[in-house]
Amino acid sequence: MIELHRVSKVYSVGPVKVPALREVSFQIGKGEFVVLTGASGAGKTTLLRLLYRDDLPSEGDVEVLGQGLMQMRRSQVAALRRSIGVVFQDAKLLPVRTVYENVAFVLRVLGTPRREITARAFDALRAVGLSARAQAYPAQLSQGEAQRAALARAIVRRPPLLLADEPTGNLDDAMAAEIVDVLKDIGAGGTTIVLATHQARLAAALRRRTLTLEGGRVMKDEG
Amino acid sequence: MLGFLVGEALRDLRRAGRVAVSAVVLITLSLAALGSFWLVSSNLGRAVAKWRDRVRIVVYLKREPPGGDVAALLERVRVMPGVAGVVFIGKADALRALKQVLGKDAGVVDQLPVNPLPASLEVTPSAAAATPEGARELLARLAVLPEADEVAGSADWVERFSHWQRLLTTIGLGVGAVLAAAAILTVTTATTLILHARRHETEIMRLVGASELTIRLPVLLQGMMQGLAGATLALGALLVTYSVVAPRLEPLVSLTLGLSQLVFFTPVGVVALLGAGTLLGGLGGWLARAAREP
Repeated sequence: MIELHRVSKVYSVGPVKVPALREVSFQIGKGEFVVLTGASGAGKTTLLRLLYRDDLPSEGDVEVLGQGLMQMRRSQVAALRRSIGVVFQDAKLLPVRTVYENVAFVLRVLGTPRREITARAFDALRAVGLSARAQAYPAQLSQGEAQRAALARAIVRRPPLLLADEPTGNLDDAMAAEIVDVLKDIGAGGTTIVLATHQARLAAALRRRTLTLEGGRVMKDEG
Repeated sequence: MLGFLVGEALRDLRRAGRVAVSAVVLITLSLAALGSFWLVSSNLGRAVAKWRDRVRIVVYLKREPPGGDVAALLERVRVMPGVAGVVFIGKADALRALKQVLGKDAGVVDQLPVNPLPASLEVTPSAAAATPEGARELLARLAVLPEADEVAGSADWVERFSHWQRLLTTIGLGVGAVLAAAAILTVTTATTLILHARRHETEIMRLVGASELTIRLPVLLQGMMQGLAGATLALGALLVTYSVVAPRLEPLVSLTLGLSQLVFFTPVGVVALLGAGTLLGGLGGWLARAAREP
C-alpha cells in the first residue's frame, strides 16, 4: 500500500538547508492502522505531504497504492488523490457551506451523479455520528464536531487510504477519544490509516503499529 | 457536473459583489459605444451602397443620331469595360423631363424657338467602375467616342462620404477597444478577488483530486457570465435607443441620405455582440487565473 525507500527531504530557507526527513524507509500494508508519532518538527507533516503528493522528496522513492510518485503528471496526481482521504488538525471546512454541503462538495467536484450524492453524504455523516448536524455551518460546530465533519468529507469517496494529520491536536481528551473511535471504525472497514500525532499518550493508548520520528529519522517501528 | 460548475460560478459572482457589477457596467459601456458606432456606420454604409448604385455618367452628343444609328451606338457603349447599362435620351425626351422638373412653370419651355437640349447617353457604371478611379477611366473611354461632345459625372462625392463612414468605424473601434481594455482589467480584478475568496475551495478541490478543468472552469465561467450580462445590457440599451430615436430620425435620414428606414443589428450582429461580450469577460477571467497560477 505504502512504501518509502531511503526518503530524505531538505527545505531551503535562503542559503540555509533544513533537513525535514533523513533516509526514511518503511512499508505499510493494506488495511493497516499506523500511528506516526514524534514531537513537533519531527517530520510527521512532511511525511504525510509526500504520501498525498503535495511535495516531492529531495532523495529516495515513494510508492503509494502501487504507484511511484516521482514522475507523475498533474492528471495522475489528481487521480491518485481521488483514492486518498486527508484530514488536518484545523479541519479546513468551507465556512460558507453547511456540514452536508462540505461533504457533498467533494462528490460534486468529482462528478458523482446527483442522485447518489445525498445518500453517500449522509452515509459518511452517519459513520462519524454527525447526521443530526448536517445543516449546521462550521461556525456552529464544536471542534470535535468540526473534525468529525472533516473525517466524513475524507471518507465520503470511500478511499482505500486515509491520512490524518494531528486530527486530535486541538481537542480535549474526550473529544480526541471520539475521533479515535471513529478512526478505528473506519479502519475496521478495511481502510488503511496513517495517523500522525504528537500526543504520545494517545499513540500508546491506540496499541497499533507506531513509527516514532525524531529529527526526521524513524527511530522506532513498534507494534 | 455542468450545473455544479455554473452554480460555483454564480456563487463566485455574488462574492465579487460591487467589483463584478463594475465589470458588467464597463462591458456594457464599451459594447454600447462599439455597437452605437457600428449601427451608425452600417446605416451609412447602406447609404453609400445605394448611392454607388445611383452613380451615372452622362455623355452629351454633338447631334442626335438618326434612329438606325442609335442601336449601334448603344451597343458600342454597352461592350465597353466598366459599363453595366446604357440608355439613350433623345432631345425630345430631355425636354419632356425638363418640363416635368419645372412643373407648373413648364410653359416657359414652350416659349423657346428650338429645343436647346442635347441628346445624351446615360451610362450606369458597373460596381467595379463606381469608384473615383473606375469612374475616371470610364469617363476617358467615353470621351473619345466620335459622337461625344461632353462627358459629365464622377463618383468622388460618394467616395468622400465612404471615407467619412470608414473614419467613423475606426473611431468606434478605437473607443470600443479602450473601453474593452478597461472592462477586461475590471473583470481581471473581480476575478482576482474571487480567486482569493475561493482559495479554500480550490485547496479542497486539489486535495480530493478534482481535474484542472473542474478547478479552472468556474473562474472562467464567471468572467464569461459578466461579459454576457454586459453584452445583453448593452444590446438592450441599444435596442431601446433605436426604438425611440429611429422613428424620429427617419424623415430626416430619408431626405438627406435617401434611406427609407434605419436598420438595427441583423441576427448575426446580435450574436457577434453577445459573443464579443462573453469573450471579453472570459479573457478577463482567464488573465486573472493565469496571473494567480503557480
